[in-house]
Amino acid sequence: MTNIQRISEKRYSLDVRGQVCPYPELLVLRALQSLSSNDILEIVLDNPPSVRDIPASLAKRGYQEINVSLISKGTWKIIVPIAKRQ
Amino acid sequence: MQLNTDDINRFIGRFSLGRDSNPLNVTGSPHFLRIKIPGGLLDTKQFRRIAELARGYSRGQAEITNRQDIQLHWIDAKDALDIFSIMDEMGFTTDMCGQGFSGARYGDARNIVCCPVSGIDRNELLNGAALLKKLSDFFIGNPDFQDMPRKFKFSISGCGCDCTRAVINDLAFVAVKKNEEIGYTLLAGGGIGASLPGPQLAKPIYVFIKPEDAFTTAVAIIEIHRDYSSRESKSKARFKWLLHTWGLKKFLNTLEEKVGKRPEKYEGAAFIKNGEHEGVQSQKQKGYDYINVPLIGGTFTSDEMISLANLADEYGNGKLRLTPTQNLIIPYVEKKDTLLRRLEENGFQMRGSKLRWTSMGCASDFCGKTKTPHAKDLTKKIVDGLEKQFNIKWLNEAEFRIYISGCPNNCCANLIAEIGLAGKLAKVNGDPKQTYTLLLGGGFGTKLSLGRRVEVDVPAEKISSRIKSLLMNYFKEKEASETLREFCNRCTQEDLKHFLTLPGD
Repeated sequence: MTNIQRISEKRYSLDVRGQVCPYPELLVLRALQSLSSNDILEIVLDNPPSVRDIPASLAKRGYQEINVSLISKGTWKIIVPIAKRQ
Repeated sequence: MQLNTDDINRFIGRFSLGRDSNPLNVTGSPHFLRIKIPGGLLDTKQFRRIAELARGYSRGQAEITNRQDIQLHWIDAKDALDIFSIMDEMGFTTDMCGQGFSGARYGDARNIVCCPVSGIDRNELLNGAALLKKLSDFFIGNPDFQDMPRKFKFSISGCGCDCTRAVINDLAFVAVKKNEEIGYTLLAGGGIGASLPGPQLAKPIYVFIKPEDAFTTAVAIIEIHRDYSSRESKSKARFKWLLHTWGLKKFLNTLEEKVGKRPEKYEGAAFIKNGEHEGVQSQKQKGYDYINVPLIGGTFTSDEMISLANLADEYGNGKLRLTPTQNLIIPYVEKKDTLLRRLEENGFQMRGSKLRWTSMGCASDFCGKTKTPHAKDLTKKIVDGLEKQFNIKWLNEAEFRIYISGCPNNCCANLIAEIGLAGKLAKVNGDPKQTYTLLLGGGFGTKLSLGRRVEVDVPAEKISSRIKSLLMNYFKEKEASETLREFCNRCTQEDLKHFLTLPGD
Protein backbone atom coordinates (compact mmCIF):
# COMPACT_ATOMS: atom_id res chain seq x y z
CA MET A 1 0.00 0.00 0.00
CA THR A 2 1.11 3.58 -0.63
CA ASN A 3 -0.15 6.57 1.30
CA ILE A 4 -1.43 9.68 -0.50
CA GLN A 5 -1.75 12.49 1.98
CA ARG A 6 -4.61 14.98 1.68
CA ILE A 7 -3.15 18.46 2.17
CA SER A 8 -6.31 20.49 1.64
CA GLU A 9 -9.50 20.44 -0.38
CA LYS A 10 -8.64 18.76 -3.72
CA ARG A 11 -4.89 18.90 -3.05
CA TYR A 12 -2.85 15.77 -2.30
CA SER A 13 0.77 14.88 -1.68
CA LEU A 14 2.75 11.78 -2.61
CA ASP A 15 6.20 11.30 -1.08
CA VAL A 16 8.45 9.03 -3.15
CA ARG A 17 11.79 10.02 -1.61
CA GLY A 18 14.23 7.15 -1.47
CA GLN A 19 12.61 5.37 -4.40
CA VAL A 20 14.70 4.56 -7.46
CA CYS A 21 13.58 4.30 -11.09
CA PRO A 22 11.03 3.23 -12.20
CA TYR A 23 9.03 3.35 -8.95
CA PRO A 24 8.48 7.12 -8.59
CA GLU A 25 7.00 7.24 -12.08
CA LEU A 26 4.86 4.13 -11.59
CA LEU A 27 3.56 5.29 -8.22
CA VAL A 28 2.74 8.75 -9.57
CA LEU A 29 0.77 7.29 -12.49
CA ARG A 30 -1.13 5.05 -10.09
CA ALA A 31 -1.85 7.97 -7.75
CA LEU A 32 -3.11 10.17 -10.57
CA GLN A 33 -5.51 7.44 -11.66
CA SER A 34 -7.04 7.42 -8.20
CA LEU A 35 -7.65 11.19 -8.05
CA SER A 36 -10.51 13.17 -9.59
CA SER A 37 -10.88 16.00 -12.06
CA ASN A 38 -9.53 19.31 -10.81
CA ASP A 39 -7.49 17.65 -8.04
CA ILE A 40 -3.85 18.62 -7.72
CA LEU A 41 -1.07 16.16 -6.87
CA GLU A 42 2.19 17.31 -5.31
CA ILE A 43 5.03 14.83 -5.61
CA VAL A 44 8.10 15.08 -3.38
CA LEU A 45 11.11 13.20 -4.73
CA ASP A 46 14.90 13.04 -4.51
CA ASN A 47 15.80 10.85 -7.46
CA PRO A 48 17.22 12.98 -10.31
CA PRO A 49 16.30 10.66 -13.21
CA SER A 50 12.67 10.71 -12.06
CA VAL A 51 12.73 14.52 -12.04
CA ARG A 52 13.70 14.22 -15.70
CA ASP A 53 11.31 11.41 -16.60
CA ILE A 54 8.07 12.12 -14.75
CA PRO A 55 7.18 15.49 -16.34
CA ALA A 56 7.96 14.10 -19.81
CA SER A 57 5.93 10.95 -19.19
CA LEU A 58 2.97 12.95 -17.86
CA ALA A 59 3.13 15.42 -20.74
CA LYS A 60 2.90 12.47 -23.16
CA ARG A 61 -0.25 11.41 -21.35
CA GLY A 62 -1.84 14.83 -21.76
CA TYR A 63 -1.15 16.39 -18.37
CA GLN A 64 -0.45 20.11 -18.66
CA GLU A 65 0.95 22.94 -16.55
CA ILE A 66 3.28 20.60 -14.68
CA ASN A 67 5.52 22.57 -12.35
CA VAL A 68 8.92 21.33 -11.16
CA SER A 69 10.82 23.11 -8.38
CA LEU A 70 13.88 22.38 -6.27
CA ILE A 71 12.73 22.70 -2.67
CA SER A 72 16.01 21.88 -0.93
CA LYS A 73 19.37 20.42 -1.92
CA GLY A 74 18.65 17.16 -3.72
CA THR A 75 14.87 17.30 -3.21
CA TRP A 76 12.27 18.41 -5.75
CA LYS A 77 8.53 18.99 -5.88
CA ILE A 78 6.47 18.32 -8.98
CA ILE A 79 2.95 19.75 -9.02
CA VAL A 80 0.46 18.13 -11.40
CA PRO A 81 -3.01 19.58 -11.91
CA ILE A 82 -5.58 17.10 -13.16
CA ALA A 83 -7.71 18.57 -15.87
CA LYS A 84 -11.33 17.60 -16.25
CA ARG A 85 -11.39 13.90 -17.09
CA GLN A 86 -13.12 12.88 -20.30
CA MET B 1 -5.83 7.86 1.29
CA GLN B 2 -4.37 4.37 0.88
CA LEU B 3 -3.52 3.27 -2.61
CA ASN B 4 -3.12 -0.40 -3.46
CA THR B 5 0.35 -0.63 -5.02
CA ASP B 6 1.26 -4.13 -3.89
CA ASP B 7 1.94 -5.16 -7.51
CA ILE B 8 4.59 -2.42 -7.64
CA ASN B 9 5.91 -2.68 -4.10
CA ARG B 10 6.79 -6.34 -4.44
CA PHE B 11 9.72 -5.42 -6.66
CA ILE B 12 11.06 -2.50 -4.60
CA GLY B 13 14.48 -3.17 -3.14
CA ARG B 14 15.28 -5.97 -5.60
CA PHE B 15 14.80 -4.38 -9.02
CA SER B 16 15.58 -1.00 -10.52
CA LEU B 17 16.29 0.74 -13.79
CA GLY B 18 19.41 2.84 -14.25
CA ARG B 19 19.65 6.13 -16.06
CA ASP B 20 20.85 6.34 -19.67
CA SER B 21 20.75 9.20 -22.19
CA ASN B 22 22.70 11.74 -20.32
CA PRO B 23 23.51 14.32 -21.52
CA LEU B 24 23.77 13.83 -25.29
CA ASN B 25 21.01 11.32 -25.85
CA VAL B 26 22.73 10.05 -28.98
CA THR B 27 21.29 6.57 -28.54
CA GLY B 28 17.82 7.50 -27.27
CA SER B 29 17.96 4.94 -24.46
CA PRO B 30 16.11 6.30 -21.42
CA HIS B 31 17.03 3.50 -19.00
CA PHE B 32 19.19 0.46 -18.68
CA LEU B 33 18.42 -2.76 -16.87
CA ARG B 34 21.45 -4.32 -15.18
CA ILE B 35 20.60 -7.95 -14.51
CA LYS B 36 22.64 -9.29 -11.63
CA ILE B 37 24.16 -12.64 -12.49
CA PRO B 38 26.12 -13.58 -9.35
CA GLY B 39 29.53 -14.83 -10.44
CA GLY B 40 28.25 -14.82 -14.03
CA LEU B 41 26.73 -18.28 -13.51
CA LEU B 42 23.54 -19.08 -15.40
CA ASP B 43 21.92 -21.81 -17.43
CA THR B 44 20.86 -21.82 -21.06
CA LYS B 45 17.17 -21.59 -20.19
CA GLN B 46 17.78 -18.36 -18.28
CA PHE B 47 20.06 -17.08 -21.03
CA ARG B 48 17.38 -17.69 -23.68
CA ARG B 49 14.82 -15.79 -21.62
CA ILE B 50 17.21 -12.86 -21.29
CA ALA B 51 17.67 -13.04 -25.07
CA GLU B 52 13.89 -12.81 -25.43
CA LEU B 53 13.81 -9.83 -23.05
CA ALA B 54 16.47 -8.18 -25.20
CA ARG B 55 14.46 -8.94 -28.32
CA GLY B 56 11.26 -7.55 -26.83
CA TYR B 57 12.51 -4.51 -24.99
CA SER B 58 16.12 -3.73 -25.91
CA ARG B 59 16.25 -3.63 -29.71
CA GLY B 60 17.59 -7.17 -29.74
CA GLN B 61 20.89 -6.21 -28.10
CA ALA B 62 22.54 -7.05 -24.80
CA GLU B 63 25.94 -6.57 -23.22
CA ILE B 64 28.00 -8.34 -20.58
CA THR B 65 29.38 -5.89 -18.05
CA ASN B 66 32.77 -6.15 -16.41
CA ARG B 67 31.02 -7.28 -13.21
CA GLN B 68 29.42 -10.31 -14.89
CA ASP B 69 25.97 -8.73 -15.22
CA ILE B 70 23.93 -8.64 -18.42
CA GLN B 71 22.79 -5.15 -19.29
CA LEU B 72 19.89 -4.19 -21.55
CA HIS B 73 19.21 -0.68 -22.81
CA TRP B 74 16.27 1.27 -24.32
CA ILE B 75 14.10 0.14 -21.42
CA ASP B 76 10.90 2.14 -20.96
CA ALA B 77 9.54 2.57 -17.41
CA LYS B 78 6.08 1.51 -18.57
CA ASP B 79 7.44 -1.98 -19.35
CA ALA B 80 9.29 -2.33 -16.06
CA LEU B 81 6.74 -4.41 -14.15
CA ASP B 82 6.41 -6.92 -16.98
CA ILE B 83 10.19 -7.23 -17.22
CA PHE B 84 10.63 -7.52 -13.45
CA SER B 85 7.98 -10.28 -13.33
CA ILE B 86 9.86 -12.31 -15.92
CA MET B 87 13.16 -11.77 -14.11
CA ASP B 88 11.59 -12.74 -10.80
CA GLU B 89 10.45 -16.03 -12.34
CA MET B 90 14.02 -16.63 -13.51
CA GLY B 91 15.43 -15.88 -10.06
CA PHE B 92 17.31 -12.75 -11.07
CA THR B 93 17.37 -9.23 -9.63
CA THR B 94 19.19 -6.02 -10.57
CA ASP B 95 21.74 -3.66 -9.10
CA MET B 96 20.18 -0.51 -7.61
CA CYS B 97 22.20 1.57 -9.99
CA GLY B 98 22.53 4.75 -11.97
CA GLN B 99 20.22 6.95 -9.92
CA GLY B 100 22.46 9.92 -9.19
CA PHE B 101 21.12 10.78 -5.74
CA SER B 102 22.90 13.85 -4.53
CA GLY B 103 23.72 12.61 -1.04
CA ALA B 104 25.65 9.75 0.48
CA ARG B 105 22.69 7.35 0.56
CA TYR B 106 21.01 4.30 -0.98
CA GLY B 107 24.22 2.36 -1.62
CA ASP B 108 23.76 -1.37 -2.25
CA ALA B 109 25.97 -4.44 -2.55
CA ARG B 110 26.68 -4.84 -6.26
CA ASN B 111 26.76 -8.06 -8.22
CA ILE B 112 29.47 -10.20 -6.65
CA VAL B 113 32.25 -11.00 -9.09
CA CYS B 114 33.72 -14.48 -8.91
CA CYS B 115 36.36 -16.39 -10.85
CA PRO B 116 34.49 -17.54 -13.98
CA VAL B 117 36.00 -21.01 -13.82
CA SER B 118 35.27 -21.70 -10.15
CA GLY B 119 34.93 -25.38 -9.61
CA ILE B 120 36.33 -26.35 -13.01
CA ASP B 121 39.80 -24.77 -13.08
CA ARG B 122 42.34 -27.57 -13.01
CA ASN B 123 44.74 -25.69 -10.71
CA GLU B 124 42.15 -24.11 -8.44
CA LEU B 125 43.06 -23.55 -4.81
CA LEU B 126 39.51 -23.04 -3.57
CA ASN B 127 36.09 -22.99 -5.20
CA GLY B 128 34.53 -19.63 -4.31
CA ALA B 129 31.06 -20.53 -5.60
CA ALA B 130 29.65 -21.50 -2.20
CA LEU B 131 30.71 -18.21 -0.62
CA LEU B 132 29.38 -16.38 -3.69
CA LYS B 133 25.96 -17.98 -3.34
CA LYS B 134 25.71 -17.45 0.40
CA LEU B 135 26.66 -13.78 0.15
CA SER B 136 24.46 -13.08 -2.88
CA ASP B 137 21.44 -14.73 -1.24
CA PHE B 138 22.08 -12.73 1.93
CA PHE B 139 22.33 -9.30 0.29
CA ILE B 140 19.66 -9.47 -2.41
CA GLY B 141 16.59 -7.59 -1.19
CA ASN B 142 18.03 -7.30 2.33
CA PRO B 143 16.70 -3.98 3.67
CA ASP B 144 19.63 -3.70 6.11
CA PHE B 145 22.00 -3.17 3.17
CA GLN B 146 20.04 -0.95 0.79
CA ASP B 147 20.83 2.40 2.29
CA MET B 148 24.58 2.28 2.78
CA PRO B 149 26.55 5.50 2.29
CA ARG B 150 27.50 4.25 -1.15
CA LYS B 151 27.68 1.06 -3.20
CA PHE B 152 29.95 -1.81 -2.16
CA LYS B 153 31.76 -4.16 -4.53
CA PHE B 154 32.91 -7.67 -3.62
CA SER B 155 35.01 -10.12 -5.56
CA ILE B 156 36.01 -13.72 -4.90
CA SER B 157 38.76 -15.61 -6.65
CA GLY B 158 40.06 -19.06 -5.96
CA CYS B 159 42.33 -19.77 -8.91
CA GLY B 160 45.48 -17.86 -7.92
CA CYS B 161 45.08 -15.29 -10.74
CA ASP B 162 43.51 -11.86 -10.52
CA CYS B 163 40.87 -12.80 -13.06
CA THR B 164 38.25 -10.83 -11.11
CA ARG B 165 40.26 -7.60 -11.03
CA ALA B 166 40.23 -7.87 -7.26
CA VAL B 167 42.28 -4.71 -6.91
CA ILE B 168 39.40 -2.44 -7.93
CA ASN B 169 36.91 -3.89 -5.45
CA ASP B 170 35.96 -2.57 -2.03
CA LEU B 171 36.65 -6.04 -0.65
CA ALA B 172 38.28 -8.98 -2.40
CA PHE B 173 38.50 -12.54 -1.15
CA VAL B 174 41.54 -14.16 -2.70
CA ALA B 175 42.29 -17.84 -2.11
CA VAL B 176 45.80 -18.50 -0.80
CA LYS B 177 47.77 -21.30 0.76
CA LYS B 178 49.27 -20.70 4.20
CA ASN B 179 51.59 -23.52 5.09
CA GLU B 180 49.36 -26.44 4.05
CA GLU B 181 46.06 -24.75 4.78
CA ILE B 182 43.85 -23.16 2.08
CA GLY B 183 41.83 -20.08 2.95
CA TYR B 184 41.31 -16.50 1.87
CA THR B 185 43.38 -13.42 2.26
CA LEU B 186 41.68 -10.06 1.83
CA LEU B 187 42.36 -6.97 -0.23
CA ALA B 188 40.36 -3.91 0.74
CA GLY B 189 39.64 -0.35 -0.22
CA GLY B 190 39.92 -0.53 -4.00
CA GLY B 191 38.05 1.76 -6.34
CA ILE B 192 39.39 3.79 -9.19
CA GLY B 193 36.66 6.36 -9.60
CA ALA B 194 37.26 10.01 -8.88
CA SER B 195 35.73 9.97 -5.38
CA LEU B 196 38.10 10.65 -2.51
CA PRO B 197 40.88 9.80 -1.93
CA GLY B 198 41.11 9.33 -5.71
CA PRO B 199 41.89 6.13 -7.60
CA GLN B 200 43.03 3.38 -5.21
CA LEU B 201 44.07 -0.19 -5.77
CA ALA B 202 42.77 -2.48 -3.03
CA LYS B 203 45.49 -3.09 -0.47
CA PRO B 204 46.34 -6.30 1.33
CA ILE B 205 45.16 -6.30 4.93
CA TYR B 206 47.43 -9.23 5.75
CA VAL B 207 44.86 -11.62 7.18
CA PHE B 208 44.10 -15.28 6.63
CA ILE B 209 40.43 -16.22 6.79
CA LYS B 210 39.36 -19.84 6.99
CA PRO B 211 36.66 -20.68 4.41
CA GLU B 212 34.12 -21.34 7.18
CA ASP B 213 34.69 -17.81 8.56
CA ALA B 214 34.55 -16.02 5.20
CA PHE B 215 30.82 -15.22 5.20
CA THR B 216 30.82 -13.77 8.72
CA THR B 217 33.91 -11.72 7.93
CA ALA B 218 32.39 -10.37 4.71
CA VAL B 219 29.20 -9.31 6.46
CA ALA B 220 31.14 -7.71 9.31
CA ILE B 221 33.19 -5.66 6.86
CA ILE B 222 30.21 -4.44 4.86
CA GLU B 223 28.56 -3.52 8.17
CA ILE B 224 31.63 -1.44 9.00
CA HIS B 225 31.14 0.37 5.68
CA ARG B 226 27.42 0.82 6.33
CA ASP B 227 27.86 2.09 9.88
CA TYR B 228 31.07 4.11 9.67
CA SER B 229 31.63 5.37 6.11
CA SER B 230 30.78 9.05 5.66
CA ARG B 231 27.16 10.06 5.21
CA GLU B 232 28.13 13.72 5.20
CA SER B 233 29.75 13.82 1.79
CA LYS B 234 29.14 11.68 -1.28
CA SER B 235 32.73 12.15 -2.38
CA LYS B 236 33.91 10.61 0.91
CA ALA B 237 31.30 7.88 1.12
CA ARG B 238 33.10 4.97 -0.53
CA PHE B 239 34.78 2.37 1.67
CA LYS B 240 38.21 3.37 0.32
CA TRP B 241 37.91 6.74 2.10
CA LEU B 242 37.09 5.07 5.41
CA LEU B 243 40.14 2.82 5.15
CA HIS B 244 42.27 5.77 4.09
CA THR B 245 41.24 7.85 7.09
CA TRP B 246 41.12 5.05 9.65
CA GLY B 247 44.26 3.20 8.68
CA LEU B 248 44.72 -0.55 8.84
CA LYS B 249 45.12 -0.82 12.63
CA LYS B 250 41.81 0.85 13.49
CA PHE B 251 40.03 -1.12 10.78
CA LEU B 252 41.37 -4.46 12.05
CA ASN B 253 40.51 -3.55 15.66
CA THR B 254 36.93 -2.77 14.62
CA LEU B 255 36.71 -5.98 12.64
CA GLU B 256 38.00 -7.93 15.64
CA GLU B 257 35.35 -6.36 17.87
CA LYS B 258 32.63 -7.36 15.43
CA VAL B 259 33.68 -10.96 14.77
CA GLY B 260 35.01 -11.64 18.26
CA LYS B 261 38.51 -12.71 17.26
CA ARG B 262 41.61 -11.37 15.58
CA PRO B 263 42.08 -12.90 12.12
CA GLU B 264 45.26 -14.90 11.63
CA LYS B 265 48.10 -13.11 9.87
CA TYR B 266 49.02 -13.75 6.28
CA GLU B 267 51.92 -11.93 4.69
CA GLY B 268 52.43 -13.88 1.49
CA ALA B 269 51.48 -12.91 -2.04
CA ALA B 270 47.81 -12.68 -2.94
CA PHE B 271 48.26 -13.80 -6.54
CA ILE B 272 50.68 -16.45 -7.69
CA LYS B 273 50.19 -16.27 -11.46
CA ASN B 274 48.69 -14.18 -14.24
CA GLY B 275 45.87 -15.12 -16.56
CA GLU B 276 42.24 -14.55 -17.37
CA HIS B 277 41.19 -18.03 -18.51
CA GLU B 278 41.43 -17.24 -22.22
CA GLY B 279 40.82 -19.63 -25.08
CA VAL B 280 40.30 -23.36 -24.63
CA GLN B 281 41.48 -24.98 -21.42
CA SER B 282 41.11 -28.41 -19.90
CA GLN B 283 39.03 -28.67 -16.76
CA LYS B 284 39.82 -30.41 -13.51
CA GLN B 285 37.05 -32.85 -14.50
CA LYS B 286 38.82 -35.41 -16.68
CA GLY B 287 37.76 -35.43 -20.33
CA TYR B 288 36.21 -31.96 -20.29
CA ASP B 289 37.35 -28.58 -21.58
CA TYR B 290 35.90 -25.12 -21.26
CA ILE B 291 35.76 -22.74 -24.19
CA ASN B 292 35.98 -19.02 -23.56
CA VAL B 293 34.18 -17.21 -26.41
CA PRO B 294 35.71 -13.75 -26.94
CA LEU B 295 33.14 -11.03 -27.52
CA ILE B 296 35.31 -7.83 -27.39
CA GLY B 297 33.13 -5.37 -25.52
CA GLY B 298 30.70 -8.07 -24.47
CA THR B 299 27.88 -7.33 -26.88
CA PHE B 300 25.66 -9.81 -28.62
CA THR B 301 22.31 -9.87 -30.35
CA SER B 302 19.33 -11.94 -29.24
CA ASP B 303 19.94 -14.30 -32.13
CA GLU B 304 23.59 -14.73 -31.13
CA MET B 305 22.54 -15.43 -27.55
CA ILE B 306 20.12 -18.09 -28.71
CA SER B 307 22.78 -19.73 -30.87
CA LEU B 308 25.25 -19.73 -27.94
CA ALA B 309 22.59 -21.33 -25.72
CA ASN B 310 21.90 -23.98 -28.37
CA LEU B 311 25.61 -24.78 -28.70
CA ALA B 312 26.02 -24.99 -24.91
CA ASP B 313 23.12 -27.43 -24.77
CA GLU B 314 24.48 -29.52 -27.62
CA TYR B 315 28.16 -29.58 -26.67
CA GLY B 316 28.25 -28.59 -22.99
CA ASN B 317 26.10 -29.25 -19.93
CA GLY B 318 23.49 -26.52 -20.48
CA LYS B 319 25.36 -24.03 -18.30
CA LEU B 320 27.13 -20.80 -19.18
CA ARG B 321 29.51 -18.47 -17.38
CA LEU B 322 30.02 -14.77 -18.00
CA THR B 323 33.52 -13.50 -17.41
CA PRO B 324 34.65 -10.21 -15.82
CA THR B 325 36.33 -9.49 -19.17
CA GLN B 326 32.96 -9.41 -20.97
CA ASN B 327 33.25 -12.87 -22.53
CA LEU B 328 31.23 -16.07 -22.23
CA ILE B 329 32.45 -19.52 -21.23
CA ILE B 330 30.87 -22.79 -22.33
CA PRO B 331 31.99 -25.39 -19.77
CA TYR B 332 31.96 -29.19 -19.81
CA VAL B 333 32.79 -29.55 -23.50
CA GLU B 334 33.78 -33.02 -24.68
CA LYS B 335 34.21 -32.26 -28.39
CA LYS B 336 36.14 -29.03 -28.36
CA ASP B 337 37.24 -29.08 -32.00
CA THR B 338 33.68 -29.56 -33.24
CA LEU B 339 32.37 -26.83 -30.96
CA LEU B 340 35.13 -24.44 -32.05
CA ARG B 341 34.14 -25.05 -35.68
CA ARG B 342 30.46 -24.58 -34.91
CA LEU B 343 31.20 -21.33 -33.05
CA GLU B 344 33.14 -20.04 -36.06
CA GLU B 345 30.26 -21.07 -38.36
CA ASN B 346 27.94 -19.07 -36.12
CA GLY B 347 30.06 -15.94 -36.51
CA PHE B 348 32.17 -16.05 -33.34
CA GLN B 349 35.84 -15.42 -34.08
CA MET B 350 37.72 -17.96 -31.98
CA ARG B 351 41.23 -17.35 -33.25
CA GLY B 352 43.41 -14.36 -32.55
CA SER B 353 45.58 -12.73 -29.96
CA LYS B 354 44.93 -12.73 -26.21
CA LEU B 355 43.81 -9.13 -26.65
CA ARG B 356 40.57 -10.52 -28.05
CA TRP B 357 39.82 -12.03 -24.61
CA THR B 358 41.35 -9.45 -22.30
CA SER B 359 40.42 -6.08 -23.80
CA MET B 360 37.28 -4.26 -22.79
CA GLY B 361 35.05 -1.34 -23.73
CA CYS B 362 32.52 0.41 -21.49
CA ALA B 363 28.78 0.82 -22.11
CA SER B 364 29.18 4.06 -24.02
CA ASP B 365 27.85 2.48 -27.21
CA PHE B 366 24.48 2.56 -25.46
CA CYS B 367 24.44 5.03 -22.57
CA GLY B 368 24.36 8.20 -24.62
CA LYS B 369 27.27 10.02 -22.99
CA THR B 370 29.71 9.91 -25.87
CA LYS B 371 30.03 10.58 -29.58
CA THR B 372 31.21 7.99 -32.09
CA PRO B 373 33.42 6.06 -32.13
CA HIS B 374 32.09 4.61 -28.87
CA ALA B 375 34.28 2.50 -26.61
CA LYS B 376 33.25 -1.00 -27.69
CA ASP B 377 33.46 -0.18 -31.40
CA LEU B 378 36.84 1.41 -30.92
CA THR B 379 38.16 -1.53 -28.88
CA LYS B 380 37.16 -3.97 -31.61
CA LYS B 381 38.63 -1.79 -34.34
CA ILE B 382 41.95 -1.50 -32.50
CA VAL B 383 42.21 -5.24 -31.76
CA ASP B 384 41.29 -6.18 -35.35
CA GLY B 385 43.86 -3.68 -36.63
CA LEU B 386 46.68 -4.85 -34.36
CA GLU B 387 46.09 -8.48 -35.32
CA LYS B 388 46.45 -7.52 -38.99
CA GLN B 389 49.53 -5.37 -38.40
CA PHE B 390 51.53 -7.50 -35.97
CA ASN B 391 52.47 -11.11 -35.42
CA ILE B 392 49.99 -12.71 -32.99
CA LYS B 393 52.77 -14.40 -31.02
CA TRP B 394 54.49 -11.05 -30.52
CA LEU B 395 51.26 -9.45 -29.37
CA ASN B 396 50.73 -12.23 -26.84
CA GLU B 397 54.29 -12.01 -25.55
CA ALA B 398 53.86 -8.27 -25.02
CA GLU B 399 51.22 -9.23 -22.36
CA PHE B 400 48.92 -6.24 -22.52
CA ARG B 401 45.26 -5.34 -22.36
CA ILE B 402 43.37 -2.40 -23.80
CA TYR B 403 40.60 -0.88 -21.66
CA ILE B 404 38.51 1.92 -23.10
CA SER B 405 36.06 4.13 -21.25
CA GLY B 406 34.08 6.57 -23.35
CA CYS B 407 33.77 9.23 -20.66
CA PRO B 408 35.69 10.34 -17.58
CA ASN B 409 33.57 8.08 -15.34
CA ASN B 410 36.18 5.41 -16.01
CA CYS B 411 33.68 2.51 -15.95
CA CYS B 412 36.22 0.26 -17.65
CA ALA B 413 39.00 0.94 -15.16
CA ASN B 414 41.37 2.19 -17.85
CA LEU B 415 43.93 3.09 -15.17
CA ILE B 416 44.78 -0.57 -14.64
CA ALA B 417 45.35 -1.54 -18.27
CA GLU B 418 48.68 -1.46 -20.01
CA ILE B 419 46.93 0.70 -22.62
CA GLY B 420 44.04 2.68 -21.15
CA LEU B 421 41.87 5.21 -22.94
CA ALA B 422 39.67 7.66 -21.08
CA GLY B 423 37.19 9.43 -23.31
CA LYS B 424 36.30 13.09 -23.18
CA LEU B 425 34.27 15.37 -25.38
CA ALA B 426 36.22 18.34 -26.66
CA LYS B 427 34.78 21.15 -28.73
CA VAL B 428 36.23 21.41 -32.23
CA ASN B 429 34.84 24.37 -34.19
CA GLY B 430 31.96 24.51 -31.72
CA ASP B 431 30.95 20.86 -32.08
CA PRO B 432 31.64 18.21 -29.42
CA LYS B 433 34.07 15.61 -30.75
CA GLN B 434 35.15 12.38 -29.11
CA THR B 435 38.73 12.49 -27.85
CA TYR B 436 40.72 10.18 -25.61
CA THR B 437 43.40 10.53 -22.98
CA LEU B 438 46.06 7.85 -23.38
CA LEU B 439 47.29 6.13 -20.24
CA LEU B 440 50.19 3.70 -20.41
CA GLY B 441 51.82 1.23 -18.07
CA GLY B 442 48.97 0.21 -15.80
CA GLY B 443 48.34 -3.40 -14.92
CA PHE B 444 47.39 -5.92 -12.29
CA GLY B 445 47.95 -9.53 -11.38
CA THR B 446 51.18 -10.51 -9.65
CA LYS B 447 52.48 -6.94 -10.14
CA LEU B 448 50.43 -3.77 -9.77
CA SER B 449 50.74 -0.39 -11.39
CA LEU B 450 48.49 2.51 -12.28
CA GLY B 451 48.68 3.90 -15.79
CA ARG B 452 50.48 7.14 -16.51
CA ARG B 453 48.70 9.85 -18.46
CA VAL B 454 50.89 10.30 -21.50
CA GLU B 455 48.79 12.27 -23.97
CA VAL B 456 45.48 14.09 -23.59
CA ASP B 457 42.70 15.05 -25.99
CA VAL B 458 43.82 12.74 -28.80
CA PRO B 459 41.15 12.84 -31.53
CA ALA B 460 39.41 9.45 -31.69
CA GLU B 461 40.38 8.90 -35.32
CA LYS B 462 44.08 9.09 -34.38
CA ILE B 463 44.00 6.52 -31.57
CA SER B 464 44.64 3.46 -33.73
CA SER B 465 47.74 4.98 -35.31
CA ARG B 466 49.03 6.07 -31.87
CA ILE B 467 48.81 2.51 -30.59
CA LYS B 468 50.30 1.06 -33.75
CA SER B 469 53.20 3.49 -33.43
CA LEU B 470 53.75 2.63 -29.78
CA LEU B 471 53.90 -1.08 -30.58
CA MET B 472 56.23 -0.62 -33.53
CA ASN B 473 58.61 1.27 -31.26
CA TYR B 474 58.17 -1.25 -28.45
CA PHE B 475 59.03 -4.21 -30.67
CA LYS B 476 62.05 -2.29 -31.97
CA GLU B 477 63.35 -0.93 -28.65
CA LYS B 478 62.33 -3.47 -26.02
CA GLU B 479 64.78 -5.50 -24.02
CA ALA B 480 64.62 -9.28 -24.26
CA SER B 481 61.37 -10.66 -22.80
CA GLU B 482 60.32 -7.19 -21.64
CA THR B 483 56.53 -6.82 -21.58
CA LEU B 484 54.80 -3.72 -22.88
CA ARG B 485 54.04 -2.64 -19.32
CA GLU B 486 57.64 -2.99 -18.22
CA PHE B 487 58.75 -1.11 -21.31
CA CYS B 488 56.29 1.74 -20.74
CA ASN B 489 57.27 2.04 -17.10
CA ARG B 490 60.97 2.10 -18.01
CA CYS B 491 60.53 4.88 -20.57
CA THR B 492 60.33 8.55 -19.76
CA GLN B 493 57.21 10.55 -20.48
CA GLU B 494 58.99 12.24 -23.36
CA ASP B 495 60.09 8.89 -24.82
CA LEU B 496 56.55 7.58 -24.70
CA LYS B 497 55.12 10.69 -26.33
CA HIS B 498 57.69 10.31 -29.07
CA PHE B 499 56.90 6.59 -29.49
CA LEU B 500 53.19 7.34 -29.92
CA THR B 501 53.62 9.28 -33.10
CA LEU B 502 54.47 7.82 -36.48
CA PRO B 503 56.69 9.90 -38.75
CA GLY B 504 54.44 12.28 -40.69
CA ASP B 505 51.45 11.73 -38.39
